[in-house]
Amino acid sequence: MSFANYKSVIEQGDTVILYLSVNNMHAIKVEQRIKNKKNEMVENVFQTPYGALKVKSLIGQTFGSKVALSKGWAYVLHPTPELWTLTLPHRTQIIYTPDISIILFQLELKPGSVVLESGTGSGSLSHALIRCIKPHGHLYTFDFHAQRVEVARAEFEDHLVSEYVTVQQRDVCQTGFGPDVKGVADAVFLDLPHPWEAVPHAVEAMKEKGGRFVSFSPCIEQVQRTCEALAQQGFIELQTMECLQKELTVQTRAMSVLPLPDFSQPQHQQQPRGGGGGGVAGGERAAEGGEGGAREQCRFLTGVPPPSLPGHTGYLTAASLPPRWARTLRSPPQPLSA
Amino acid sequence: MSEGSDEVVRVGEYIVLQRQSYTKLHKVSDHGTVMLGKDQIDIKSIIGKPLWTTYKMEPKKGSKRDFILAECDSAESLAEQLIKAVSSGVDNRNIFDDGNSQQLSTEEIISMRQEGMSGQDIVGQLVENSKTFRDKTEYSQEKYLKKKEKKYFEYVTIRKPTIRLIAQILYRQDSTKIMGLRMDTLSQISTAAGVQSQGTYLLYESGCQGLVAAALVNSLDEGGCLVHTHAGNIPQKQAILAMNFSEAQKSRLISVNIHSLLRKLHQLKDSIVNTVSDKDNQSSTCNGDHVMSQNSSESEQVVEVEMKLEKSVNISTESKNNNEEKVVNINENEDVQNDTNDRKRKHSDVEDSGPKKPRWELETERAALILKSQLADGLIVVAKEHPRNIFLALLEWVNPSRPFTVFCLCREPLMDLYVYLKSRNDVIALRLTESWLRTHQILPNRTHPDILMSGSGGYLLSGIVVRDTAVETVD
Repeated sequence: MSFANYKSVIEQGDTVILYLSVNNMHAIKVEQRIKNKKNEMVENVFQTPYGALKVKSLIGQTFGSKVALSKGWAYVLHPTPELWTLTLPHRTQIIYTPDISIILFQLELKPGSVVLESGTGSGSLSHALIRCIKPHGHLYTFDFHAQRVEVARAEFEDHLVSEYVTVQQRDVCQTGFGPDVKGVADAVFLDLPHPWEAVPHAVEAMKEKGGRFVSFSPCIEQVQRTCEALAQQGFIELQTMECLQKELTVQTRAMSVLPLPDFSQPQHQQQPRGGGGGGVAGGERAAEGGEGGAREQCRFLTGVPPPSLPGHTGYLTAASLPPRWARTLRSPPQPLSA
Repeated sequence: MSEGSDEVVRVGEYIVLQRQSYTKLHKVSDHGTVMLGKDQIDIKSIIGKPLWTTYKMEPKKGSKRDFILAECDSAESLAEQLIKAVSSGVDNRNIFDDGNSQQLSTEEIISMRQEGMSGQDIVGQLVENSKTFRDKTEYSQEKYLKKKEKKYFEYVTIRKPTIRLIAQILYRQDSTKIMGLRMDTLSQISTAAGVQSQGTYLLYESGCQGLVAAALVNSLDEGGCLVHTHAGNIPQKQAILAMNFSEAQKSRLISVNIHSLLRKLHQLKDSIVNTVSDKDNQSSTCNGDHVMSQNSSESEQVVEVEMKLEKSVNISTESKNNNEEKVVNINENEDVQNDTNDRKRKHSDVEDSGPKKPRWELETERAALILKSQLADGLIVVAKEHPRNIFLALLEWVNPSRPFTVFCLCREPLMDLYVYLKSRNDVIALRLTESWLRTHQILPNRTHPDILMSGSGGYLLSGIVVRDTAVETVD
């Protein structure tokens, strides 16, 4: 099985991740022959900056081993939802792993949970949801875009996870989550332009005993309206947060130390002392150059933040729905739309 | 959880008490009381009642801060009720902080409380006797009431502990006791380690009250396994206990001392050195130097520790054995026998194959056999110690193409480890990350980031284990 469980040897039809560097990975489907532009079957060769890879040669290799490219080598890795998120074909804007992590955690998912997702988008989050809830749970995922639904369905089949997921074309704001999923969900996730319109439907879809809700919205106005709708429907513990992940580049850096004599000492002219080194914890000093013109260097290991990074992805709004008997609807109480 | 009837309060299980936004973990006992702030609450009445029930705190006769709990339909928010009844001002130009706006004295307020007046009525009185309340803006009134409500809120809701609530409670109570492991970082540990329900995971945890172990066990299902290694005799397991795990879930958790486990693993390795599988043969030959040097330094360590253990056994055999019993929750009736068996074995050889091994040793063997036969699908190190040697000692028991992650509150140890790992050929995709989390107040016309935020959620070094082999030549 490809995504569902780990295996050690690559077989025909598997999806593998070709790792060239941290920032250069590709998801490849292991097929000996593919169609070219002229619709003819040709040998499947994958081009990389380090040369070509004959995809056929992957069959029988062990996941995690090095494979030869015509001008170098790469690693073949077992696919995981995280690697898939980094390599999947984008059909929409996708949710990345830092936000996915919080979503899984805030939805309180565990094996056996039933979770709803709308919209499916490119399926970045869907794969992570499936991993959390399998083998006995189920993901119902909805998108109003017919083609996205088809592609996602094909992907799930390809990745051998379709037994854990139902993909449906549906505008959940207009028509709700449908009759199949009334009172079955432990958790609902919304990534929609108008999430507040789907909140009453989310309540209908959730179990009698309540559950967890998370919505992802890029704009604060969406969050405000969603929070109002949530409070009206009896959700409690509303919490809105944003999370960014900063990757640090580990580097050894060197700074030269400006020689400054210590003027408090009478013989100051003899011993130039570094003024800058004292504040650098753990730094190593080394004299560089010859005598006389020696320039003191302070070397230290540091984590350099990126010069620019995404400053905003979206607001995550999480909430709890108590069991039906313990709910209080806020004024003005709104009956569920029938 | 599929276990059906877990929705009522049972003696011996943990619950979360929630009073407005304040939450607290509590283990239910037969005749228990709980302190909520300065209030002592008798919670006998909640046993057998469904979770999510809300109770009103009613003062016991004759005592100031003793309460009993009476079931009620829902918590009433006085802010919402009061605010509609009172007029409000436009801005604060007529409000002066002269300390005289509240006409009730502190004594009067305390005596109202002692007379058993309800919180709602007290706040009503406070509002009535405030000269400025009516001049405050609607928003300011709401803020004032919310503040007062916090003090006088008299409703308690009983919740079922979840990882999210437990993490929240432990972090709020004293974040240093869980090494500042914030919710977002904890969630990233799970994804960075790629935890899935049927995998085998190797964890070293210290200084986190079992929070990471609890989160991982919660993610496992049938066929899944967590080898939870720890230093010392007993793992920290506050969070594990608080989850009320079922027997099936508990069986997926093997808590073992890291020294015992490594010793056992290396014994196994030596004894089956001729019959090892292909995979291991390759990895040990090509890891060459690393493995060798690691082994020798490790076995030295192990010997040292063994000696230490022996000493402590000599000094206080009793307490040590007791601790070990605790580790594995052994049945109490086996105590006496094991005690004596244990002592003998300690002083003879470790390889003693007596009929009754102590439970901790059986667990260590079980963990070692699992790791030996299938290697781990992910490695997680969350240590208050320097992570380097712990990580390296456990790394060789992880399958290729599996992720690992190391948490540290400070970045320096992870940078050291990063630099060292860069020189090795068996890990790739190294990333050192820091997470930033900000929460927001969402209210009509008053939406803004919360005034306080956490400064750091700690650092994660994650990557993927690969086979350190020469390129497999193709064609």
